[in-house]
Amino acid sequence: MDKASHLSVILDLSPVQWHLFGQSTNPFPLSLSSFLSQLLAFLNAHTACKDENTLAVFGAFPGKSVLLFSSTTGISEGDLGPADANTYRPFKMLDATIMKSILEELEELSGAQEESPLGLVGALTKALCYINRTSSAASSAPAARSEETNLPDPRILIISVSPDQPSAYIPIMNSIFSAQKLKVTIDVCKLFGSDSVFLQQASHLTGGSYIFLERPDALLQYLTMSFLPPPALRQLLSVPTQDKVDFRAACFCHKNIVDVGFVCSVCLSIFCQPVPVCSTCRTKFPIKTLQRLNASKPPAPTANRAAIPATSLPRSTSIGSGTPRLTPLSNGNGTVHPPSQNGTPR
Amino acid sequence: MPPRRITNIDDSDSDISILDDVDIEARGKAKGKGKAVDRGQSSKSKSKAKEQPYAWEATYTRSWDTVQEDEAGSLQGAVEDLIARGRRRRLLAPAAAIRRTIIRHLILILDLSASMLDRDMRPTRFDLMLQYAREFVTEWFDQNPLGQIGIVGMRSGVGERAGEMSGNPQDVLRAMHERHKLEPAGEPSLQNAIEMARSSMSHLPTHSSREIVIIFGSLTTCDPGNIHDTLDECIKDKIRISVVALAAEMKICRDLCDKTGGQFGVAMNEGHFKDLLFELIPPPAQRAAVSRAAGASATNLSADLMMMGFPTRLPNTSPPSLCVCHSELKSEGFLCPRCAAKVCDVPTDCDICGLMIVSSPHLARSYHHLFPVKAYKAVESLVDTPNPSPTCHACSVNFADVALPKPGSAMEGMSPIGRYRCPDCHHDFCTDCDVFVHDVVHCCPGCGK
Amino acid sequence: MPAAPPEATQDSTPHALLAFLHSQSQTTLTRLYQRPSSCLSMFRLLGPLERQLIMNLLWLDSAVPAQTMSAWVTQEGRKMYDNALVSLSKLHILSSSPVKLALNTTFKSSLRHAIVGGGTSGSFGVPAEPDRKHPPPSIETLDAYALERWETILHYMVSSGSGRFPARPSQGVLLLLQRSGLMTNMHGSALQITSSGFQFLLHTPHAQLWELLLQYLHMAEERQMDLVEVLSFLFMLSTMELGRDYSVEHLSGTQTAMLEDLRDYGIIWQRKASSRRFNPTRLATTLTSSAPPLPTAGNSSGSHQAQGFIVLETNYRLYAYTDNPLQTAVLNLFVTLKSRFPNLVVGAITRESVKKALANGITANQIISYLTTHAHPQMRKNKPLLPVTVQDQIRLWELEKNRMQSREGYLYTEFASQADYEYVLEYAKKLDVVLWENALRRCFFGSVEGHSNIRGFIERRSAGNV
Repeated sequence: MDKASHLSVILDLSPVQWHLFGQSTNPFPLSLSSFLSQLLAFLNAHTACKDENTLAVFGAFPGKSVLLFSSTTGISEGDLGPADANTYRPFKMLDATIMKSILEELEELSGAQEESPLGLVGALTKALCYINRTSSAASSAPAARSEETNLPDPRILIISVSPDQPSAYIPIMNSIFSAQKLKVTIDVCKLFGSDSVFLQQASHLTGGSYIFLERPDALLQYLTMSFLPPPALRQLLSVPTQDKVDFRAACFCHKNIVDVGFVCSVCLSIFCQPVPVCSTCRTKFPIKTLQRLNASKPPAPTANRAAIPATSLPRSTSIGSGTPRLTPLSNGNGTVHPPSQNGTPR
Repeated sequence: MPPRRITNIDDSDSDISILDDVDIEARGKAKGKGKAVDRGQSSKSKSKAKEQPYAWEATYTRSWDTVQEDEAGSLQGAVEDLIARGRRRRLLAPAAAIRRTIIRHLILILDLSASMLDRDMRPTRFDLMLQYAREFVTEWFDQNPLGQIGIVGMRSGVGERAGEMSGNPQDVLRAMHERHKLEPAGEPSLQNAIEMARSSMSHLPTHSSREIVIIFGSLTTCDPGNIHDTLDECIKDKIRISVVALAAEMKICRDLCDKTGGQFGVAMNEGHFKDLLFELIPPPAQRAAVSRAAGASATNLSADLMMMGFPTRLPNTSPPSLCVCHSELKSEGFLCPRCAAKVCDVPTDCDICGLMIVSSPHLARSYHHLFPVKAYKAVESLVDTPNPSPTCHACSVNFADVALPKPGSAMEGMSPIGRYRCPDCHHDFCTDCDVFVHDVVHCCPGCGK
Repeated sequence: MPAAPPEATQDSTPHALLAFLHSQSQTTLTRLYQRPSSCLSMFRLLGPLERQLIMNLLWLDSAVPAQTMSAWVTQEGRKMYDNALVSLSKLHILSSSPVKLALNTTFKSSLRHAIVGGGTSGSFGVPAEPDRKHPPPSIETLDAYALERWETILHYMVSSGSGRFPARPSQGVLLLLQRSGLMTNMHGSALQITSSGFQFLLHTPHAQLWELLLQYLHMAEERQMDLVEVLSFLFMLSTMELGRDYSVEHLSGTQTAMLEDLRDYGIIWQRKASSRRFNPTRLATTLTSSAPPLPTAGNSSGSHQAQGFIVLETNYRLYAYTDNPLQTAVLNLFVTLKSRFPNLVVGAITRESVKKALANGITANQIISYLTTHAHPQMRKNKPLLPVTVQDQIRLWELEKNRMQSREGYLYTEFASQADYEYVLEYAKKLDVVLWENALRRCFFGSVEGHSNIRGFIERRSAGNV
């Protein structure tokens, strides 16, 4: 049980979202700098727990993703300044490297780039590649070849402040499945904004925990209590897991997140309304089916979404402000939706 | 030379023989025996399996034959050869989205005749078949989560239904779990078993695929009528039959496969048996069948659009309520998105409103077939690259500065400097990540799609 | 046991040092906790659940009701949780109140300092100014030095019984070995290895190191050294960076005195005794990282030692791919060596060789665990790793040794009459001191403890009769 563990942290560093988060109109604003100082304490605590624990930190910036720190690669000596008798050297290296690379990356961001979608998928796949490399290196080393138990327990912690990007649905799902294959646990800490459907599924499918922080000012305590224990220890501790898991998907046509969709029987592409031809595999659907489905179709998904009372379900908050949510077809179809559709038993 | 070696490569369809040819070139000697048809699914064990001798020739396991040392006694060359093979195969695979049948229905017919007690595959054909069949079912459900499998046994001249058609891997595995119930005896009957399989799939909707996989160890079949009539019925019903034979090729087996668009293979040894069986796991591409001159049947299914709901899962800490499927008081469950009824498990049809409820991960598992990652190009030299990145874009490992000594011609498609470049985002990746991205992640870290 | 297979470490025994710290007074520990480096190193020695508990409490300013915390433990974890609480309060890390949980304030602030940095304690070692004339030694130099020192000690121990004496370690080391009971000078002159010394040889380097250091701590108390200074110096070493010069100027008197001892053990390196700077070796920097066995071992004798080098066959033959005289000597403790090649030693496990080892006080389990930890990678494909026949036979040979039990006592015979005999026997049985009886011969054997009672009883009875 007491073996080394690997932690890959993925930081959502979208300047726009952090700016919104830091505004004092929020009930609990959190600025990026105070977030980082709490995060660094958490990362140090992870390293402190065991000398062999390894750590990699990835940053997801708008339009790109960067490896900010990795405990296995060397750091050039010059960056660190004079040695100091008051701090443990690995901690100092970690703090200095992360802060420096975040600053560099943020300064490089130009105004135009800030609008581009967040590189969360890139960061996630990079983390997986990184874990794949370290674990395959460890397992091919002769000493450890025999037992898989010698591999460090890998896990990924995603700290997210941005809303879901429906366009990233397929890559995120692919990453989740490869995480399952690698036996990587994905933990998610959602600091700000609405619940993330995709990340909920990620943590559910990999056995991690998804936590929506109600009090971001107590961030460090949350991080320590929920995400510090390695998966082996979590059998003994009732680490909070998520409440509900939302298994919704994003449709291929308009990138809406739907709860009732239309699925092509050949390639399983999801559409938010009946279409005559599958856009993925070019299969033509029988006209009868279209008529039948159009008749039984629930109200347009976007309208449906908005009609849910905000209190009924935590998942029902709005999705991504930037995405086009009204589509011509659903407008034309604009049926009056019965409110009873949206009730849940709670 | 054993009789079944005389197989004809030419009668397989065109895209398949391309792949076979590649393997033949690489091997230099191996014939396209057993029609090791490859659908772009990389499996390294497979090339190993082929180099083993026939199971009955092997008096002992010659594990050292599978890899060859180079002059310096290192295995590096052999390993890289395997990687190179995988790369070439990927380059040949079509990058465009193709149609695959994803909602599959399959009847697995197991030969339970006395010939399965032969020991030419260890421990016996029967035990090996059971073991591989279990692995097959697990893997099959992993890749075809919306599919269903039923099991039929051939024993004492009749077909026996060992397991009903089910979408739950546990049910299927349970059917194969009790070995003593499946103890081999008597003669097999292909016709009876196929008729039984056909009848159990007759009610299925037209848009789903119907397949039969037969594991056949006998060299005879004991049929009540004309099996060619059964074959014609199967063609009419668009049932695709694939056979993995353990003994030798039989004309009727090949006809069954060729006429219905399935795959036929004779296992040379244990490893090859597994390869042949596992090649049937990925969803069959419809593209292959369209090009088939024989006017294949399994493909002209009428496609359909289905309405599906994606549920919300309730945790086991939520207040208990009655589920609609068993009327039991339970905490956990899934809420139908349309009528908010609670069901115990997905995928299922909602008992209240009839909506098909699936969890989206079930669907998403097959999406990598639709949107494969483009094959990376091997970087030959850095001459025309201004300031190349010193590290792999994905795992940040440092690239080697100097080119490796150019090994033999087997290295075609391999980069001498260990760099592979994505054609879209122009980032460089190392060998490990190249393999991992294409085989596992199915998503390029550079482009994020 | 450090060499136990991974399954057995599930409920691994706590670190050897913790038992020692449990016995220390609260004031001593509180003084120790003043230094962030000590807190960090101590923290790493604790079990995973204990560490998590500390972390949970670390950032809280007020005490937490014990109930709140225990609600957070699952049913299976209950026992471990309770043990962790006890252990922490013994170390005075948790205040001992049963209803509220809070960390010792000194510990809390020091550990906070360790993790977020800051403070002025200088407890992580003051680096020396860069020296142009003498650049710091390379890591290879340090490893070679540590390995050489350490193997000298072990080699001296293992060959002490054979009459050949390789290089002697320094006087301080010899004294330590003697005091720890690993070696003894029974015959006046030369030191002889004891049975606990033999057991010591089969431990992992990491466990060996701590065993010696614990002994050093015990001695420090007697030598009037300040225990807190000694401990915090060791802890400081464990947080230092390999290959970096540190200055001796900020060390206290006790710690300066320790430099010499630690140099002898190979824990630190100094250019010369009067040097103003010192370098910790890998032995020092891995003090609190439990998992890898001492990495120094792999460096001189090639890479195979780190991976294990022993191949054991079902026919009791043993092939050890090693050229290291120390490993050969250790194997010689329980293997009959047959032939020796430049990189290979061939031998067999025989009844005689195992008997000899058992006579030396080595247990069957220790032999098996040594073979398990040092098994060749090829062996690791086997399940179970060692041939069952050999394992069982080694255990059986140990049982053979335990066939006879001896107990001291008194034989009571020549009772005057059967009634007399039965009367006394009945009394003795009530006291539960009868080990053996024979009614035909009218005698029984009683243990030492019961003798005075029985004698008194017989005397009273004969006196009463007369």
